[in-house]
Amino acid sequence: MAVTTFSLKFLAALGVDTAKLEGNIDKIGMEVEKTEGDDVYIDITPNRPDLLDSVGFARAMRYLDGKETPKSNFYALKNKPDLTVIASESVKKVRPVIEAMVVKNANLHGKLKYIINFMEKLSETYGRKRKKIAMGMHNLDAIEPPLHYDAKYEGSFVPLGSEKEMSFKQILEEHEKGMAYANTVKAGMYPVLSDSKGSIMSLIPIINSQLTKVKEDTKNLFIDITGTSEPAVRNALNILACMFIDLGFEVYPCIIEREGKELVTPQLSYREVRLRPSLVKRAIGADIDQAKIITLLNKMGFDGAIYGRYVLAYVPPYRIDVLNQQDLIEDIAIAYGYNNIIPMPVAGTSVGIPDEQNEFSDRLSNLLIGMGFSEAVNNYLTNEEINFKRMKKPIDSERVVKLAYSKVEIYSMLRTSIMPGLLQNLSISAHEPLPQRLFETGLVFGVENGKPFEKRMLAFVSEDSRAEFSDIRSYVEALLGTLGIEHKLEAHDDPSFIKGRCAAIVSNGTAIGIFGEIAPDVLESFGISAPVIGCEIEFMPLFERCCAESGRSNAK
Amino acid sequence: MHAYEITLLNFLKKKRSASFEELKTTGIGEDALRWAIEELSKMGAISVEREELESVELSEEGKSYLKEFPEERLIKELSKGSMRIGAIKNKIGLIWAKKNGWIKIDGDKVELTGEGRNAIGKEYALRSALSEIAKGVVKESAELGVLSKRKLVRIGKKSIIKNIVLTETGAKLNPIEEGIGPLTPEMLKTGSWRGKSFKAYDVNAESAIIYPARMHPVHEFINIIRSTWIGMGFMEVSGPIIESAFWNFDALFSPQDHPTREMQDTFFLSNPKTIDIEDVEALSKVKAMHEHAWKERWHKDLAKQALLRTQTTSVSVHFIRKYAGIMNANYPVKLFSVGKVFRNESIDYKHLSELHQSDGIIIGDNLALSNLIATLKSFYEQVGFPDIRIRPSFFPFVEPGLEVYYHDDKLNDNIELCGAGIIRKEITKAMGLNKDVLAWGMGLERILMRYLGIERISELYENSVAWLRKRKEIIW
Repeated sequence: MAVTTFSLKFLAALGVDTAKLEGNIDKIGMEVEKTEGDDVYIDITPNRPDLLDSVGFARAMRYLDGKETPKSNFYALKNKPDLTVIASESVKKVRPVIEAMVVKNANLHGKLKYIINFMEKLSETYGRKRKKIAMGMHNLDAIEPPLHYDAKYEGSFVPLGSEKEMSFKQILEEHEKGMAYANTVKAGMYPVLSDSKGSIMSLIPIINSQLTKVKEDTKNLFIDITGTSEPAVRNALNILACMFIDLGFEVYPCIIEREGKELVTPQLSYREVRLRPSLVKRAIGADIDQAKIITLLNKMGFDGAIYGRYVLAYVPPYRIDVLNQQDLIEDIAIAYGYNNIIPMPVAGTSVGIPDEQNEFSDRLSNLLIGMGFSEAVNNYLTNEEINFKRMKKPIDSERVVKLAYSKVEIYSMLRTSIMPGLLQNLSISAHEPLPQRLFETGLVFGVENGKPFEKRMLAFVSEDSRAEFSDIRSYVEALLGTLGIEHKLEAHDDPSFIKGRCAAIVSNGTAIGIFGEIAPDVLESFGISAPVIGCEIEFMPLFERCCAESGRSNAK
Repeated sequence: MHAYEITLLNFLKKKRSASFEELKTTGIGEDALRWAIEELSKMGAISVEREELESVELSEEGKSYLKEFPEERLIKELSKGSMRIGAIKNKIGLIWAKKNGWIKIDGDKVELTGEGRNAIGKEYALRSALSEIAKGVVKESAELGVLSKRKLVRIGKKSIIKNIVLTETGAKLNPIEEGIGPLTPEMLKTGSWRGKSFKAYDVNAESAIIYPARMHPVHEFINIIRSTWIGMGFMEVSGPIIESAFWNFDALFSPQDHPTREMQDTFFLSNPKTIDIEDVEALSKVKAMHEHAWKERWHKDLAKQALLRTQTTSVSVHFIRKYAGIMNANYPVKLFSVGKVFRNESIDYKHLSELHQSDGIIIGDNLALSNLIATLKSFYEQVGFPDIRIRPSFFPFVEPGLEVYYHDDKLNDNIELCGAGIIRKEITKAMGLNKDVLAWGMGLERILMRYLGIERISELYENSVAWLRKRKEIIW
């Protein structure tokens, strides 16, 4: 989402009924974040970059209020191409696409600020921080066509807002914009726009030259859009062209000459989308006839016509989000009003079925709660210090699921065991009366042969002034005994437990769990001041054995 | 005289004086012990030596700052741009933000300093100290001094029992039992209780506090959600947490250069770096779907990136694919899942890196928005939101899309509950399923916080034994 600021006065000047603004914005699924004096902050969803602009936004509001009816081919170019841009082959590898237009007889008084804001917002959001697309606006009268778009190794000019001439290198290292967008260009291959006299107009997509600065009294403009994606550049140019047409300026296409071929931009054209009324009904769940569909389309800015059993919708060039029928059906639903749709339960019956493993896990939880253990739910994200070092275990980095990058320093991996989390819970509970008993069921993670795995586990701990091996053994036997799991115990060595006071639970010939007295150096590293006994056991063997015994299938 | 008083008196007759800790070795519980000491001291049988300790308590103002200090609020507001000094009502915030060097005042313009920008969303030492004190942890520190000066905490005195000494009166006292104290198995066996009276107890005497072992509230809440969906005829399903970008993003129509696919928002993995996409048919269809829609090249390498799922919708799309291969399914098929999702976020009182989500889908023929709205209305009515509202919204994988929210009268704000819509035909086609699919996804923590009445989201996963023992029941 992109929060955009509009001026209420400017919107009113563009024919928007500002009293109805909040309701209308809600209706189209955007949100008014706040209003401060003349400024209204609106959250615009990323599929509608045409609404980031006051002019485009006002247009949508006028249609919605029925103040204006869309006409197909209203946004069209009547003028002949005015200017040529020659794109050299050298830009192919750095920033291949350029499209452009000329705007004449502009009246920028009171509007320039909004136009610049919009162009910057569009480059930030839709343009992916100028990487995918960026745009420049120049004073046409300060340049000598034809223009050249090349990749240059070096050069210098006076950047916008400066007084002194700077080299490309200086701009990238010292200028505010240069530093902010240096990552969009490769050193030594700078995309540059210059005129026929060789004056540099712009180091793209960083900054324009002071030479072509646009002021409120500038009459004639040259607009360029460059980028890495042809459809994105074209879409952005369409949106801008429609904005200038709405403002009453004269838009002239440009010729882009590249490798001997000529391309005229922009090409404002309407797309015809055929709509099936039956599909509209099927998606919305309301009976809407052809005439009504056209009225609703009009509210959303589409001209429409009846065509046999179909409705033809004319998609204006700035509606770049409309891929096909579905997108129009959404607009029809919005105009119809989601709150006018009568809720209708889904026909047909079905039986609700819980996940068997979750059900079994709940049974384990009930047993543990019955034995006086409270449940903890800890994060899966952890770090090597807690998961390994405090447990006195070696780090087996090959087998650990590692994060490439985390904003939060304490997260670097997914836990391989539940126990460290429970010990940490005890360590922050020092002032609470003993005994403290906790359990947790949940996933642990690892990597085997390059593939990740997720394994469900159950762990429980008890901290008390006296907590001994025989106590934890009693709990383990109570649990396995109740579940009817046949098993034996074997002496086991584990660095987290006191040597000689740790056992492995062996069932059907494989170790499925471990329990014992937690080693004092582990307790010390967690800052726990009373003895702790604990157990960690695999979930699946318990689940499989219990469900096999009860004759229930284990479908998963 | 009560049995406890007698025990205590006899103990002291031998030792003359004892500490509170020593008296606990008599086996009398702490609360009963306090009561007995009080009673004996009233009789003049013992004298109690007390020690004065410093205690620190939060003031009302201090309590209201636990969530956010005024200066933190101010810099958050300023992060949207500078403000005129006159427009700032939050004068306390202004004073302290200035003292902290977070803002600079230039004429009548107030703006953030670099330091101020850095402070946004970070741990604030004063707030940490305040919340430590709220938890009962008091450390001598510079912050404590500031908190006290700002009258956010009150430093006072608390007296604790240090030593108990037998008095002359006590030494002479010959304790006689007034009726039967505790009933014992011995008495029942021998019948010695017959013909005797029982000592009357003070029904208001303090008793030991018992904390029942409990389920974690998140788990409890997940079970409420689960049983609601199951009651509505849904089948519970699950899927992997470690996913390829393919199932988390590409299969859901998210363009490969979408901002959420950057390291800044999603946890990508360095081990394993990639996950193979074994479903080659889905792979080639998804590639075609992207290249047709966005007219740009689609890269398999990016789709293979391993990550922690950002949404449980990845589970839903796995099942959309699965049902494409089931011949005789009984439609409509209704599925839901609950599980953890991960966002690479800086943690503060509203944000966590690890959260729970529930997703659901209905697969069938002729499914409309009206069916989706009815389903969600019914669900939310059952979990305590009878007045949900619906508005259009945008998610890349649905068309039309909508958002469910409710108006919180206390906060006077709209709180988002759920995003939903009809899965785009491009997706069902790429997955090979010629059906309509209604879909939705909802976060659980925000609603749970409302039920539990907590304001800091991380409280849910700290698992301090005190909180697990004493937290509120979930009531809606």
